[in-house]
Amino acid sequence: MKYILMMNTMKAGQGVPAWPQKDLKAHIGFMLGLNQELRQSGELVSAEGLAFPDQAKLVRAGKNGVPITEGVFPESKEFLAGYWIVDVDSPERAYAIAAKASAAPGPGGAPLNMPIEVRPVMSGPPPEMI
Amino acid sequence: MKYILLMSGTKAGVDMYRSCPAEDIEAHLRALRAITQELTESGEFVAMQRLGQPGEAKLVRGEKNGLPVTDGVFPESKEFLLGYWIVDVATPERAYAIAGRLSAAPGPGGGPTNMPLEVRQVDPPGPVATTTP
Repeated sequence: MKYILMMNTMKAGQGVPAWPQKDLKAHIGFMLGLNQELRQSGELVSAEGLAFPDQAKLVRAGKNGVPITEGVFPESKEFLAGYWIVDVDSPERAYAIAAKASAAPGPGGAPLNMPIEVRPVMSGPPPEMI
Repeated sequence: MKYILLMSGTKAGVDMYRSCPAEDIEAHLRALRAITQELTESGEFVAMQRLGQPGEAKLVRGEKNGLPVTDGVFPESKEFLLGYWIVDVATPERAYAIAGRLSAAPGPGGGPTNMPLEVRQVDPPGPVATTTP
């Protein structure tokens, strides 16, 4: 069963975090290690990091199909920082991986304890819609 | 350059959509499939994924000993990711144009949903582009 693990911790306008270089490096090293571990266990389906929220646009269709873009977001909006899709035997295993990601080191090397949203991924449209 | 087109909505919005007549939902899905097919033919399609119901979402944190703590309660206003497309395009404007097309897909009653899509670059160059395997 496939699950998506989402880091939704970013806020509007946010760019590269102002952490000391060595803390950023430790964080990145941790994430690379986690990816490597999941690749070796055969559980990693895909993972992506997204550009920071200061580059996000909201797009809607205009009348004639021309896109209308907007770059202003409410302060309360959560932004996806990145995600993993994993293929695991149980939801519990997905939660365990999320807990590991949650503990990624932040400023000063302390665990961030960031919340990770975990949800099943669909492999196709629901049966009633086919 | 790769862009991600994120489609989000609240739990109430999802419940409303699911209560629509089946033919409206089918027309909506057909329009989305046609756009995906077009992107596949143009070579711009990278990935697409539909996510499980917001009701199945859990929020997970690591405890001190590394054990997961799960929580399934979210504020009503929370926007859940419903699905996404990743496209490989020549310009950001092309990514916005594709998002505009998806936003214009027919919704309940056949009119365009005008759903907003959030568009951001994926795996951007720089020191923090770390999570791509």
